[in-house]
Amino acid sequence: MDCRTALEKIASKADGLLPREAEAELSGHLAGCPACAAEDAAISATGAVLRVLTGIRARREAPALDAMWTRVRAGIEESGEARLHPSWIARWAWIPAAVALAILALLFYPAGTDRSPFHPSTFDVAVEDVESEAATVALVDKGEDLPRVIWIIEDAKT
Amino acid sequence: MPRLEPRGRAGAPVLSLLLLFLLFGGAPSEAADTVSVDVGAVYASNEGTSIDPALGTIRAKLHSMFNYTSYRMLDRKRRILSVGEAGEFELPDRRAMRATLLPSRGDKVRLLVQISDGPRKLLTTTLGLRRGGMVLVGGPSHKAGVLILIISAE
Repeated sequence: MDCRTALEKIASKADGLLPREAEAELSGHLAGCPACAAEDAAISATGAVLRVLTGIRARREAPALDAMWTRVRAGIEESGEARLHPSWIARWAWIPAAVALAILALLFYPAGTDRSPFHPSTFDVAVEDVESEAATVALVDKGEDLPRVIWIIEDAKT
Repeated sequence: MPRLEPRGRAGAPVLSLLLLFLLFGGAPSEAADTVSVDVGAVYASNEGTSIDPALGTIRAKLHSMFNYTSYRMLDRKRRILSVGEAGEFELPDRRAMRATLLPSRGDKVRLLVQISDGPRKLLTTTLGLRRGGMVLVGGPSHKAGVLILIISAE
C-alpha cells in the first residue's frame, strides 16, 4: 500500500467506513510509515475532540431541549384528547342529520312530477255521472282486469 | 402554543336540529284524510311502435284496449288534495283538468273531474275510486293521435 492510498483509508477509517480487512492492511502500512501514522493519530484525535465538544454542548443545551420537547408533547397530547373525546352531541350529530335527510328525500322526491311507473291495485271505479257541453262521451268497460275508460268524441273534430 | 379546536364539528348539531325541525315541524305532512291524485297525459298514435316504459304495468293493458301502436307519456303531475280542495292539471294543447276531492267513506275516493278546452267543457264527471284505483279518460285529439289521461288516486 502506498501513502496516498493509506491517507484515503485513514479518512475512511475516521468516517467509520473502512472494512475490517482494509483496516488490518492499513495498520500494517502505519507500522512501517511514521508520516502516515502521525496523520492517523492527528485525525483520530480530532474526531475524539469533536465528540467530546459535541457531548459538552449537548449537556449544556439539554435542559432547554427537554423543556421544549415537554411543551411539544403536552400540546400533541392535548389536541389528541380533544379529537378523541368530543362531546356526545358532536360525535352522534351526523346520525339524525343523515336520517332526516333520507326521510326528506323520500317525502319530497319527486314532489311535482312523479315518474315512478303506474302500478294500479284496482280498476274498481264507479262513474256516478258524466256529461259534456262540447262532445259525445262514451263509457267503455272491458272487464274487471282492465281500467274503465271514459272516451270523449269531440263533436267538431269527428 | 396554539390549541387545535375541532371547529368543523361545531355546525353539525345546528344542522341536525334544523333538519329535524323541517321534518317534524316545518314540512307539510300527508295526512290520512288527504288524497294524492296522479294524472299522466299519454300521447297515443300510430306513429312508430314504441311504448313508454314509464307507463309501467299499464303498458300491456293500453295495447290490448286501444288500436294505437305508440304510447308516449307527455307529462305527469301529482296533487295532494284534502276534501273540498281542487287541483289544477295543465294538459297539452292548452287544455286543463280540474279535480276536486269530494266527501266519501272508508277507502273510497270521490273525485269531481272537469276537463276543459279553453271555454269549452269537454267533460264533467264524478268518479268513485278506491285508493290505488285508476281510470282512463281519452279521446281529445293531439297531433296525429289522441290524448289518454291516466287518473289514479292514492
